[in-house]
Amino acid sequence: MSRGFVYNILFRTGIVLSVYIRMSLLKPFSKLPGLNAANILLVECEEQFQKSLADALVEETAVTVYVRLAKSLPLPKENEESRPRIDLVVFIINLTSELSFQSAEASLKYLDPGYLLGKVCFMVTNARNASVPTERLDAVRKLAAALHCPLLFAEDQTPDGVTYATKRLLSILKVSAGLVPMATALYLSSLTSCTVPPDIDQPSFD
Amino acid sequence: MDPSDGKGSLNLMVEAVALNPAADSSNAQKDTPPTDMLRMNQQMSNQCFEMAVQLQAGKSKRSCSTSEAERDLPVYVKELEGVKTLNFNSTLTLHRMQMWHAIGETVKGNYSGSVALKAGNDRCMALCSQIKQCQQESKDLQDEVTEVLKKRLEMKRLIDEKMKEMEDLKSKKEDGFTEKYKAAMEKGQENLEKYRKLGVMTQNVLRGIILACRVNWMEDPTLRDIAMTLEDLPFSD
Repeated sequence: MSRGFVYNILFRTGIVLSVYIRMSLLKPFSKLPGLNAANILLVECEEQFQKSLADALVEETAVTVYVRLAKSLPLPKENEESRPRIDLVVFIINLTSELSFQSAEASLKYLDPGYLLGKVCFMVTNARNASVPTERLDAVRKLAAALHCPLLFAEDQTPDGVTYATKRLLSILKVSAGLVPMATALYLSSLTSCTVPPDIDQPSFD
Repeated sequence: MDPSDGKGSLNLMVEAVALNPAADSSNAQKDTPPTDMLRMNQQMSNQCFEMAVQLQAGKSKRSCSTSEAERDLPVYVKELEGVKTLNFNSTLTLHRMQMWHAIGETVKGNYSGSVALKAGNDRCMALCSQIKQCQQESKDLQDEVTEVLKKRLEMKRLIDEKMKEMEDLKSKKEDGFTEKYKAAMEKGQENLEKYRKLGVMTQNVLRGIILACRVNWMEDPTLRDIAMTLEDLPFSD
């Protein structure tokens, strides 16, 4: 039993842990892409908005969209073999809860850096809510700008809001899956990546 | 991560699909498979390109600070956009040339549609020359309109000048007139005052004389008339 205890401690040391993380990274190019198909992964801590988004996304007729839902990364190892190649990873952050942002940040560690070249997108809900502290939105903005990813704002309560969010996700997804002739995900991300206004640290007038 | 292996098997997969269009029997129509396959081919080439980019990035690893990279990034993006625009324009030009070449070939050879094409071409030429004529006419008319407008503007300017002159003259004349009038009025009034005082004084004197003589002026009609007129004038101040 004591050996098990020692092994446990060893397991928790940095070296072994980093190997463990690296093995469970979500990699962009380790599988073959699907023909005339696009795979999107929606990561959301609350698991609410992703369902309505998924329903709207699969209604697209021009191309077959496969939607996978997750609460956080790393993804369970059991599905590793059957899971197809993911073209776009969307982190859905609900601004009214701090847990949502922290969960997204923690999930980022399990993402291969190859994804950050245009295959990651941040989607933020409830940005208009009065109870949201401005620092959280600023923190999300800074994160998206540091990773050169697009930041989308969505409204999840009305069906119209879901439709608009779906449309925008689909346009980014089509580029990531290679379905748009002259554009690649990297090129699109250089055009759509989030930027932080220079006066973000100054207090806004309320 | 072994994208080069993936690329090889990708090519095999695309070839397999190309050799067995029957495998794509999920699309029932006969003419959609080629376009679908072209689209899929494009998609695969896009994916291959992305993987090649990843390989390239993996190969040339040099250490540089993030601030340096951030500085260089916009420059590269601008360059990339410039090259893309150039490429797009060149592709458009190429397509145009291809179209024209195809049309030329069709018209020259005696294909089934070439008679209709020639007729269409002639009609286009006729319409184009008509268009040119109309454009020329409209240009001439526009020039004429501009000339008329210029003349009108000139007229307006002259009118404004003349009006200004008239206003100046009018104001000058009125000023002179009122001044002279005022002077004359004052002089007249002075004279009036003077003669009025004279009159009043004369009447007083006459009244005094009549009273001093103790004559009964009411009986004599001429004297009575004179005395009546004396009383009409009020006493002077």
